[in-house]
Amino acid sequence: MSAMAVTSSSTPLAAFLRRPAVLKIGTGLALLLLWEVTVRLFGAPFVVRPSGVFAAMPAALGDAKLWAMAWSSLSAVFLGLVISLIIGTVIGVAMGRVPWVNRVSELWVNSFYTMPMVAILPLLTMWFGFTETARFAIIVFAALFSIIINVADGVRSVPREYIEVAQSFRARRSDIWFGISLLASVPYLIAGIRLAVGRALVGTVLAEIYASVEGVGYFILVNARSLEQNTAMCAVLILAAFGIAVDAMMGFTLKRWFPWYRREGRQ
Amino acid sequence: MNALMSHRWSQVLLSIFTGLMIWEIAGWQFNSAFFAPVLGSDTPFANAIAQWIAGLFGKTIAEPHPGTVPKLISMLAAADMREAFWEVAGEQGWIAGVQRAVEASTLLKAVSESIMLFITGLALALLIGLFLGMAMARLPNLRIALEHYILALYSTPMAALIPFILAIFGFEFWPKVLVVFLFALFPILYNTLEGARSLKPEYVEVSKAFRSSEWRLWTDIIIPYTLPFGLTGLRQGIARALVGMVASEILLNPAGIGDVLVSRSQAFDMAGVLAAITIVTVLGATLMASVRGFENRYVKWRNAVR
Repeated sequence: MSAMAVTSSSTPLAAFLRRPAVLKIGTGLALLLLWEVTVRLFGAPFVVRPSGVFAAMPAALGDAKLWAMAWSSLSAVFLGLVISLIIGTVIGVAMGRVPWVNRVSELWVNSFYTMPMVAILPLLTMWFGFTETARFAIIVFAALFSIIINVADGVRSVPREYIEVAQSFRARRSDIWFGISLLASVPYLIAGIRLAVGRALVGTVLAEIYASVEGVGYFILVNARSLEQNTAMCAVLILAAFGIAVDAMMGFTLKRWFPWYRREGRQ
Repeated sequence: MNALMSHRWSQVLLSIFTGLMIWEIAGWQFNSAFFAPVLGSDTPFANAIAQWIAGLFGKTIAEPHPGTVPKLISMLAAADMREAFWEVAGEQGWIAGVQRAVEASTLLKAVSESIMLFITGLALALLIGLFLGMAMARLPNLRIALEHYILALYSTPMAALIPFILAIFGFEFWPKVLVVFLFALFPILYNTLEGARSLKPEYVEVSKAFRSSEWRLWTDIIIPYTLPFGLTGLRQGIARALVGMVASEILLNPAGIGDVLVSRSQAFDMAGVLAAITIVTVLGATLMASVRGFENRYVKWRNAVR
């Protein structure tokens, strides 16, 4: 840092440009400019560009249809997440606490977790048709296994002493499972939720595109096809904002209340 | 029994067996467009087993049930593969023979197409992700300028960009590579960035004080320090690239494994769909396991550093 300070104080302008905030915003503007210029030089007139997105934004964001679509997708993600949280926590705690449950299911949970979720999209449309149910199923499938794996990891990492003390005070099994093991593995659970949200969002968008279910993905598909790419990009921005907000929220929670939690991410 | 159960492989085998039994029993409950058992009864061998088991319960099986594994084998091994191999191998060497034999098998051809797409996209992502990440380790100002944008793109679902790619670049090979690339790039870049952020500036300063050349600075400090982080990113990148691969093959021009998945599902051939899913999963699990093995072998020291 000190070496930089020496070189950066050469002129006031250079010093101003090296301020982190200026640097960040400046880079952002430069990237937008680069995008705009590239598209103007090489792209067809319909290709998405920053100025077009800004121009289309008021109309698109004022459109009730986009918000209805966004609500349809994001509420499905939320509901799917709640369900996979409930099921995933129970299975995860069972896998972490009971050795034979772990032995029987670990291999299968791991392979379902590694399986690229789009691969089961054709299968789900055979089961549920090209409907919202298929989308919901892929959300649960995408979210469930990262929660199971993280909860099981967390429960396994609970110090033995906690359990032993509880047992010597004759704690009930439900208290050991959910009162101690689960509570002690909350940071793992949060990391799992963070992963699950990302995967669920991708699953939602892909399902909507593949099965033509009403939602953000479908809105993007229809608009990008009918040469309204700037409008479609507004929907991408909503998705991105949601993803970033959830990520930031989970990151903040971990940092604020579980500062001791530091572990290699599992994905 | 206890001694047997404590052995790791017997546990794994038992778990596989239990799972396959559940799958088999579930498969028999539904018609063949809805779910397929593992073995089924539409090949002589599988039929013999199924009839024997049914006989134990005093029943016989009337209608044939397509099974996933026989389907997988029939899709993998075409009847004329051996001929195809010998047809070419004599004149042009065995590599050309293997190529011809792969082309003769529907599933192997699809898998090799998909792997081509996957490797091209992933290699580009790895190259650019690692290089940019390492450049950010060397130039703190570049890191400060870019890190928030990379973070934001990391948590954006890249799947939402597929319609744009489809509309702008079309649906041939390279647009698909772009999809795989975009899916894989940001986890790699994000993790290498993490490494760049945790590289102590003192290391660079000390080596500068000893008049290290730029080349030695990279080979001795920056690359060894950030590469392990990049490998963690590679593991995440592989998982995402596989999703990108199948997604682009389903949503752009149907090809490879994605094409097999879609066409089998449109033919209401559940055994075929399950066979294709099995292949994709095996592919993913093998890749993940090999990267994890590589990591354990070469970059074990990283956890000690952190």
